[in-house]
Amino acid sequence: MEVKLSLDFKGLLCPLPVVKLAQTIKQVEIGELVEAVATDPGVMADIPAWTRSTGNELVTLEKRDDKTFRFVVKRLK
Amino acid sequence: MTAQVELALNTLEAQLNQPLETALEACARCGLCAEACHYYRAQPSVEHIPAFRAEQLRSVYRYERDFLSRLFPFWTGAKKLDEKTLLHLTEIAFSQCTLCRRCTINCPLGVDTPLLMRAVRAMTTAAGTAPEILVMLADAAIEKGADPSFFKELFLEQIREIEEQLRNITGDPNATIPVEKQGARVLYVPLAGVHTILPPAIVFNAAKEDWTLSIFEAANYGVFLGDVNRAKQVAKRIVDEANRLGVQEIVIAECGHAYASYRWDVPNWFPGQFHFKVRSMIEVLADYLREGRIQVDPNFITEPVTYHDSCNLARNSGLIEEPRFVLKHIVKDFREMTPNKAEALCCGGGGGLVALAEYTERRIQAGRPKAEQIQKTGARLVVAACENCRLQIGDLNERYGLNVHITALTDLVVRAMRLPKPLPGTEAEHLFEGQKEMVELDPPAH
Repeated sequence: MEVKLSLDFKGLLCPLPVVKLAQTIKQVEIGELVEAVATDPGVMADIPAWTRSTGNELVTLEKRDDKTFRFVVKRLK
Repeated sequence: MTAQVELALNTLEAQLNQPLETALEACARCGLCAEACHYYRAQPSVEHIPAFRAEQLRSVYRYERDFLSRLFPFWTGAKKLDEKTLLHLTEIAFSQCTLCRRCTINCPLGVDTPLLMRAVRAMTTAAGTAPEILVMLADAAIEKGADPSFFKELFLEQIREIEEQLRNITGDPNATIPVEKQGARVLYVPLAGVHTILPPAIVFNAAKEDWTLSIFEAANYGVFLGDVNRAKQVAKRIVDEANRLGVQEIVIAECGHAYASYRWDVPNWFPGQFHFKVRSMIEVLADYLREGRIQVDPNFITEPVTYHDSCNLARNSGLIEEPRFVLKHIVKDFREMTPNKAEALCCGGGGGLVALAEYTERRIQAGRPKAEQIQKTGARLVVAACENCRLQIGDLNERYGLNVHITALTDLVVRAMRLPKPLPGTEAEHLFEGQKEMVELDPPAH
């Protein structure tokens, strides 16, 4: 499925990636995907917790070789 | 009356106790609180006087509680709460007050206006008009506590990587970051992210502390919401963890609201379950230096340095001399801002405002008096022992062209420990970016 919005959270410390994601996800329609890349390892816990508590779907969350973290979230709410 | 308004009023009613009723009744309208407030100093207008903000809630309270005010509201300035007023109260409580309590200590009657603003925050949270992002962050933290299994494996993997960095930096192959260590003396609670884990880990290892790292973060967005129920659920994660591990002490990362809440509120929320001493990382640093448990280079920084007193740490918790004691060990040219210590001006980033993008401009405007204070010191480095303060001062630095570096106290102490190896990896470089220039001016002996 096509990613509708790509975000760069590199250099942002938690919880700012969650804050920015929560704000920007409203720019896509329900059912669409948002992708982001972050450098703070805190996203490995914070993003899954945020999707769980808000009812959105975490499609993927991966650590990459360049020490960044990429995640894709499907907007469901 | 709408359901929203009813929820707000019920929440006000439920919160009423002696301190809150005193704050609602006691204002003499002298206006001395005006100059105490950084919002008023930045923009001297009536709506920025703390007593004016408080009056917005008092007028609603009078209408609800005073028979005469209900019959003749125009006589007493009483106001019936409606949805429009609720939104106005929301705006005031979340964007025009950082709960710094400088107005309180400058009030001849000691009126606790931030207590009123907290009450409003609780009312608006119950009514559903509080900023959505703060509710989301509090709920996400609660979710992490409900089922840590969904992130624990990834968290532990990260910690092992940070541990590798720790060993590289210190040159100590046995340096560790223990997690869930049963019977450890200290439970250290970081904020999310490596920047509040690695430097304290270096310090704890150097001091040979018997410690363990919490799997949760110290920040509590329920506190910002004034929502005791959410705040309790967030705090319970740490209280349960501390009890499960049998620790004697909880050490909180450099974070103003987290320290203040664990020091003053949380023990009252969990009577009979809170058997721990609570210290801030800055107290730990001071004690380790006092006891000779860590060694630092007294000539580490010759550039002028100033210290920003976090409202929650200094004014509201009394941690005033500890950071100065630490700085005296590593800084040659320390310059105080004026006013400082308990009378320090708020930077404008407290109360959760840093997380609220909709109020960014207002926050930066309200921080102008702090920016001017920093500028007057001539310092090149600003030390702040609170994450929200550092973020705010970073924004002020950019907006007002202060040309300063901003750092946490622990980071600075770690630099002054003259570690045997250079800092490796992108994360560590990022961590110490603020001191890069000074390190170049004054390179480590190795």
